[in-house]
Amino acid sequence: MTATLTSRSGQRVAGGRLVAGAFVVCGIVAAVAASTLTAQESVPGIPMPGPIVAYGLPVVRVLLDLAAVAVVGLSLVPKLLGFDDPDATEPVLRRVRPLAVLAAWTWAICALLTIVFQTAELNPGRVPTFGLIASYVEEVGTGQGLLFSAACALAAAGIGLMAVRFGEKVPAELRIIVALFGLLPIPVTGHAVNSVWHDPIMISMEIHVTGAAAWAGGLAATAVFVAPHRGLLAVALPKFSRMATVCLLLVSLSGLVTGLGTMALTPGVELPGAIVTSHYGVLVVIKTVLVALLVPLAAHIRFRLLPVIRRGGATALVSWTAAEVGVMGLAYGVAVAITRASIG
Amino acid sequence: MRRLLTVLLLACAAVGFALPAQAHNVLVSSDPKDGATLSASPARVTLVFDQAVRQGYAQVGVTGADGSSWADGAAEVSAEQVSVKVKPLPAGGSYVVGYRILSSDGHPVTGKIGFSVAASAAGAPAGQPQQGDGATAAGQDQRADSAKAAEAAANGGAGMAVVWIVAALLLLAAGTAVALRRAPAASTAAASTAAASTAAASTAAASTAAASTAEAEAEARPSEGTRA
Repeated sequence: MTATLTSRSGQRVAGGRLVAGAFVVCGIVAAVAASTLTAQESVPGIPMPGPIVAYGLPVVRVLLDLAAVAVVGLSLVPKLLGFDDPDATEPVLRRVRPLAVLAAWTWAICALLTIVFQTAELNPGRVPTFGLIASYVEEVGTGQGLLFSAACALAAAGIGLMAVRFGEKVPAELRIIVALFGLLPIPVTGHAVNSVWHDPIMISMEIHVTGAAAWAGGLAATAVFVAPHRGLLAVALPKFSRMATVCLLLVSLSGLVTGLGTMALTPGVELPGAIVTSHYGVLVVIKTVLVALLVPLAAHIRFRLLPVIRRGGATALVSWTAAEVGVMGLAYGVAVAITRASIG
Repeated sequence: MRRLLTVLLLACAAVGFALPAQAHNVLVSSDPKDGATLSASPARVTLVFDQAVRQGYAQVGVTGADGSSWADGAAEVSAEQVSVKVKPLPAGGSYVVGYRILSSDGHPVTGKIGFSVAASAAGAPAGQPQQGDGATAAGQDQRADSAKAAEAAANGGAGMAVVWIVAALLLLAAGTAVALRRAPAASTAAASTAAASTAAASTAAASTAAASTAEAEAEARPSEGTRA
């Protein structure tokens, strides 16, 4: 009895680690690889930032994204589980809530570290002092966006702490909204275009970022924390599946609109050709391919595994989810490079 | 769920419209032009971007084929133009102008153009004719001033935010420590508790670093304020 229990919980932990590990490792590898391949070549007479900044910045930046995804996903868990059966859901939620607080902390710290790294990037050959960092935040919108995101992450940590203390009396919607709100300044740190279409493209970017976080975070959190409990999974997965379908449509549409729109509106960029000649265009193509890869994986879970799970049967959900979340991690890594790649 | 979506869409709209139109800078022209062969050494090199370049951070270098540097002084930013004075260039050489500017959407943009000075050219700068330079100078200064003002207005004062963040950080650090100690360890799997505690330790270490960063930022601010 005890032996089977421990082996089951051991399997559970291993499955959870597989999903979380696939996400983080794929994210970091893709971020470093894509950033290195699309780095701006050094120019004669201009000092360029050193390797610590060149490799550290993408890593910190992708960790920021992954932590934010984790916060959103963990905040979604109570909403997916529902509030009707506290006896069954409370053990799961008791594990989820402290982790949401930790993820929010990681998010805030990564956002602040990103500010430091970006200051160092702009002042090659100098160790960023507090004066340099302060003037960077004061002068550059990216710095302010990251600072605001860090503040939202801290707010999410605060609300998460209240949830640790008071349980589901703290509304789940509030936690989700604060977490998603912290994502909104992130597009400010990416590219922008000088055109009347700036605002629509920015909104499309906001939809892209929030949709991707809800999709990836919800999937990972469901696989790690809900999948070991078959009864709860039969409730949560159909709810998530509906949300994921909407997210898939929103993310792919808004991604295409933003990517192609940004290229079309940048002066000196010839559209069909620039897709393969510019770094930005190639990265847009890679992300499109990754989303195309996600579709069959998601469809398998939706149409093959979901009916079995609804009936309460056992499935290889965790392995399939690990594959899907790994591809999402790759997409997040490429996203880090795309925010910085040259368009022209 | 529908209520949630509505709130989110409204929030997106609010943030989207509040953002200033800051975009990615692209080099549109230059003086001398890329690949040009000049009959005389230019007095200065000017790069023109599609929109205003951020003050500060701009770097322009003029490098000879042998790696020698010919830029004279630092780059000057005037609205969308970035220029640098050039020492008298020897005739018959080719030169690369490298630049790294801070795009108005906050990314460093690097690039280079090349030009050469004809072998028959005079060694000293022959006062490259710059059409209408004096007439537009005043206008450029004005535009630079208004660009500075717009930048300052767009950025506002983030000083108070730092104070709030420091306070929130300290409060939250204390809260996290207390809550995680109280979290029912018995009810969770042993492995996950171990993972949580190692994560907590690393978070605590990093949080003190972050807090000290923010504090020092707050200290650095008064001097920034007097400058503004």
